[in-house]
Amino acid sequence: MEKLRIHLVLTLRILILCIFVFPYANTKGQNVFKDVTDSAGIDHKYKVYEGTFGGGATVFDLNNDGYEDVFITGGMNSDALYLNLGNGKFKDIYASSGLGKSNLYVTQGAASADVNRDGFRDLFITTITTTDGSNKIPRAENLLFLNNGDSTFRDATKDYGLDDLNSFSTGISFGDINADGFPDVFIGNYFQEFKGKLGIIKDATIVSANQTAKSYLLLNKNGEKFEDVYESYGLGHKGFGFGGVFTDFDNDQDQDLLVNQDFGYKAVPNFLYENEYPWPSFRDASAETGMDLTINAMGSAVGDYNGDGWMDYYVTNIKFNWLMENQGKGKPFVDRAKELGTYNLAISWGANFADFDHDMDLDLFVSNGDLNPNCTPMGNFYFENQENKFVERGRELEVNDYGIGRGSVLFDMDNDGDQDLLVVNQIPILDYPIESATKLFRNDISNGNWLKVALKGMSSETSGIGSRVTVIANSKKLIREIDGGGSSHLSQNSVISHFGLGNSTKVDSIIVDWTGGNRQILLNQNVNQSLTITETEQSSFKWYVAIFISIVALMARYILVKRKKPL
Amino acid sequence: MFRKRYYRHLIILLVGITFFAIIGCENQPKPAPLKPNEVAIAWAKLTLFITQHTPSNSPTFASRAFGYIGLTMYESVVHGYEDYHSLEGQLNELESLPKPDTEKQYDWVLSLNAAQASILRDIYIQTSEENVLKIDSLERRIYEQYSKNLKEDMVTNSISFGKEVAQAIFEWSKTDGGHRGYLHNFDKEIIHPDFPGSWKPPLFAQSFSHHPLHPHWGENRTFVSANAEVEDPEFLPYDTVPGSPYYKQFEAVYKKERELTRAEKESAIWWGDDPDVSFTPPGHSYYIATLAAESSGADLITVAKAYAQTGISVADAFIECWKWKYAFFTERPNTFVPKYIDEEWESFWPDPPFPAFPSGHAIQAAAAATALEDNYGTNFKFTDRAHEGRERDKVRDTDFTIRSFDSFWEAAQETADSRFYGGIHTPIDNEVGLAKGVEIATNVNNLKWKN
Repeated sequence: MEKLRIHLVLTLRILILCIFVFPYANTKGQNVFKDVTDSAGIDHKYKVYEGTFGGGATVFDLNNDGYEDVFITGGMNSDALYLNLGNGKFKDIYASSGLGKSNLYVTQGAASADVNRDGFRDLFITTITTTDGSNKIPRAENLLFLNNGDSTFRDATKDYGLDDLNSFSTGISFGDINADGFPDVFIGNYFQEFKGKLGIIKDATIVSANQTAKSYLLLNKNGEKFEDVYESYGLGHKGFGFGGVFTDFDNDQDQDLLVNQDFGYKAVPNFLYENEYPWPSFRDASAETGMDLTINAMGSAVGDYNGDGWMDYYVTNIKFNWLMENQGKGKPFVDRAKELGTYNLAISWGANFADFDHDMDLDLFVSNGDLNPNCTPMGNFYFENQENKFVERGRELEVNDYGIGRGSVLFDMDNDGDQDLLVVNQIPILDYPIESATKLFRNDISNGNWLKVALKGMSSETSGIGSRVTVIANSKKLIREIDGGGSSHLSQNSVISHFGLGNSTKVDSIIVDWTGGNRQILLNQNVNQSLTITETEQSSFKWYVAIFISIVALMARYILVKRKKPL
Repeated sequence: MFRKRYYRHLIILLVGITFFAIIGCENQPKPAPLKPNEVAIAWAKLTLFITQHTPSNSPTFASRAFGYIGLTMYESVVHGYEDYHSLEGQLNELESLPKPDTEKQYDWVLSLNAAQASILRDIYIQTSEENVLKIDSLERRIYEQYSKNLKEDMVTNSISFGKEVAQAIFEWSKTDGGHRGYLHNFDKEIIHPDFPGSWKPPLFAQSFSHHPLHPHWGENRTFVSANAEVEDPEFLPYDTVPGSPYYKQFEAVYKKERELTRAEKESAIWWGDDPDVSFTPPGHSYYIATLAAESSGADLITVAKAYAQTGISVADAFIECWKWKYAFFTERPNTFVPKYIDEEWESFWPDPPFPAFPSGHAIQAAAAATALEDNYGTNFKFTDRAHEGRERDKVRDTDFTIRSFDSFWEAAQETADSRFYGGIHTPIDNEVGLAKGVEIATNVNNLKWKN
């Protein structure tokens, strides 16, 4: 009887899918996002650990050949390292990459940056436990792999002082909080973290394990070590952390931190921390900015969707997402999701702002998926920006995959100038009416000119992580932050900034604001090109240094004058 | 001259310091001596504290703990009262319990003291070391007060008898199916039944688990055999047609949420008793038993009996409730309402991680009220201060406001109603919960407690 019922339910689900999904398979001949997963050779499914979380992907050109590659976490399954062969195909070189250790861990998210400034991007992977099931309390170290430059990596977890940090970690973001060119890290922890090895595990240890955690703020010490400065930088909070993203919300050219937290309405809400650079601390600005959302925040997308020069944030959630519009300095954010049409029922994880159609505004992709093990299919969203209102066109553009979506990333897989999408999907634990697998969607909808800007940091982070690129064209100002990870869910987008330019035939100016305050301006640039802007050495004039010198000078003068006085 | 005065001052100062230090020591608040019934109350309060401050606690596990701890309290003193009977041989698979030696003398408060300390340590073996110190210190304090002026062997006899009773009850508890249940709050292997109207993991949730709490709890051994035989309730046939009895149940919840008064919101948060931040719903019942014990001034045996009856009643209520919850596996309003009434609707209070029918709050509150009426009478005025002084609920913009009742039943009724206000239970979940709670506790009351 029970079996019969399950069969009936399944048949019904498939029927529903047949009726609603398949007939839309491009009958109108319009341009869509083309699912090229199979032809590109992507064969990946994230396998979840005991119905928890994951996974994510990071986009990085691991061998500096100009084609961006992708690392994808596999959870209980093997991780994958897809080398972009440049002909629309990818090859999984995980087995020969030296990353093999990561398969001993239930991996969650990943991000990459040039940790040791040797010109190659290194790989940081978050984990929740080991895959052998030996941990009574699921916790493990996170993994750092240094890039050898020859498509192989070496494990540097221990050398960088990370092997003692046992955690149930989720999202990871690289940023440069002290603007020293060495990328720092924020890692979200979900359940209570601990240092070193656990001794004899008593019942008391087990029952206290599922409490809220402190996350990690790891300061990169000259590319040689990481030091957890969570508390000394003023991040005291605990929570069911889903990581965060470094972003400059107040346009003061340093990296602030937006933190996503699950169960905000019950445990601890979201945070927005203002970086007080050059002082080594963060200030909690959550309440005054109205960013202390009490929701199940899974991830955030960063982007100035209304083109007012201030970064806005789309925060994903269970049921309805939040579109937090930046009102400028000193003013609280306003949620405009409902009003502007990004308010559809789903369970959302990854989200990515990009100008997919090249009409000079930011559209929004949202990756959806039910909670394992009991999953009902829910399609992804594609919100097209139409004069700052959003219209959902996921089904029409064939990007509404019904798999169990999680992290999603943007990159230009075929170097044709537009933003393609990779969406990590989980394996359904129970019966599911369709296949759920990681998808690669090639963008065939862009229609207009474009510009791509890659940064080469000399004193800033190698790929310009934490820097901002502004493009002025057709009397519009477009701003992009270089994502160090976290402008999605457990994932990191391409670090090459992308601009749709519509019918503009010239770019009036490109402004690069490097972390630390250097500014570089290029005028009158051509459209439809990939530019690499190398940081030029500038007078490293810093206002606080000037003030310091002035004070010293004044004091010296005072002392001298005093001395000269006759005794 | 100067030096001499200096020394004199120094001496005066030193003497002064010594004097005040001594006075200070003497003035250290020495706990007031406890009367026998107050000893029972002090243990109940510590039990509530530990229930609240032990992580990963659940209403199911807590209810079971109150059952064994309450029973132990009663059994550790019952032989001091001729008119009262031990429950030996009256409970499921509990054939015998230690009996006092008629040749020996006992102090029943010392027996209770040793027994409570022992059973609390064993049942809550997962609590923190800090909490274990609290148990030790209460035990020591009562021991010091009551062992004074007693013959040494009487002290020893009393303590070892109390320990034996606690040990015997703890050994018996190990085979009921709930022993160390906190290690298996969520069965990760369980396949959730899937049918129209079946329970779905909450999206607006109290817990991060997508699996339901203690799915096998209903298979546990009840304290009272008759409670395993209580007739199964009936539920309504699934129907999404507006106007159908099923639809109306959820529509009622939906409509109520849209017109919640301040008082109803206060009620909804007051009785929430989230296990992560409070002593759980059965703890609220044990707390009310404590209020009754305090304000009635009842003697030790009455107080102990009332704790035992309350504890056993809530424990059996949870077993039966969980049996039905998993047999019916019904959805919460948060699943039905957004699907068929209003897509954006969300309950006022988040969903707990288990199926709806019947309400656990209602069944245990009714069971406790029935047990307490049996001991303190049907008309009993009291003021519930369980959450007094708690920081207001900012998310829901509601205060924790103390509540006064004219009877235990009035409190039980409000407990049930509060789940309806919170939007997490339909009227039928509550009505059946209340009715079954009465049946279950009546079976407990009907044991042979007294001549």
